Amino acid sequence: MAEQTIINMVNEVFIDSFEIPADKLVPEANIFNDLGLDSLDIVDLVVALQKKFAVAIRDDERVRTIRTLGDIYNFIQLIKTEGNK
Amino acid sequence: MRLLKLIYLNITFYAFYIIFSLVFIPLLTVFIVCCRLILSHRQTMKRLRRVIVWYGTVAIRILPFPLIRVEYKNYARNEGRGPFIFVSNHRSSSDPFLMACPCLFYEAIQVVNIWPFRLPVLGIIAKLAGYLSVREMPFEDFFAKTTKLLREGVSIVVFPEGTRSRDNSVGQFHGAIFRAAIEVKTPIVPLCITGSELIPPIGSMLLRPGVIKIHQLKPLLWEEYAGFSPFKLKNHVRQMIINEVAAMEK
Repeated sequence: MAEQTIINMVNEVFIDSFEIPADKLVPEANIFNDLGLDSLDIVDLVVALQKKFAVAIRDDERVRTIRTLGDIYNFIQLIKTEGNK
Repeated sequence: MRLLKLIYLNITFYAFYIIFSLVFIPLLTVFIVCCRLILSHRQTMKRLRRVIVWYGTVAIRILPFPLIRVEYKNYARNEGRGPFIFVSNHRSSSDPFLMACPCLFYEAIQVVNIWPFRLPVLGIIAKLAGYLSVREMPFEDFFAKTTKLLREGVSIVVFPEGTRSRDNSVGQFHGAIFRAAIEVKTPIVPLCITGSELIPPIGSMLLRPGVIKIHQLKPLLWEEYAGFSPFKLKNHVRQMIINEVAAMEK
């Protein structure tokens, strides 16, 4: 999956599920401090990402290390690459 | 002159506060024991919570007066009988006492951090009154307890930033209580506090003379937020508070 496609799809999740304006969705945005998600919102985010990308990430320990939107782009890219192997 | 005021305020406040607490807390204990002997647990809790609010009123509005004045403006007078979820910004350790203003005529508990439970005597009373230490319980327990309290008619006071602001800005909100609000369809009352940041400052017990302003906004009714996600709701309430705080500090 192309990098830009992943970025667009992740951004769509934030816009559709959390109604966050597109101009706030920059790779360096901290999902807690800048976008305002909390630990409960992360559960909703994971569910939305699973649905959007048809992947299972709920029990993936790497989710806990995610801090920025860029981390999510990279994480999804990684998951997709692993899935294709 | 300013130094004299500072010394006078702190000596008189803490002296009166200790004397008041030494008298009030044993009387409260006797009162609650008597209530429990003749009333149900539920009725006793109701009285305990109401009395705690009166304790807060004396501590924050009467003892430090006139060097610390509390200006309380309620834009929502006579709008509904509750229960409500009172949502406030958080600047100082005096803020929980300030909640006596909006809660004066309601049975209410507060959602607190860990440290208030560790206060001698007051921590025990808070626990007895059913105050919730949000950091010490999983979300499922918090959700079950808050929804049960709201259904019983108990209002809940929260500081959803989770900690005191260090720069007077309104931090990001945690959404746990907003999920309970949606579940029980409870009106949310935004509370906006300014002026408490030096009464006392973070890391100090030294009170500075000043004016604390509390503005209670109109309740956000369930009919107004029906269909909101918890994320949208918490940010909506946060923005209401940010706007009012900005207006208060102009």
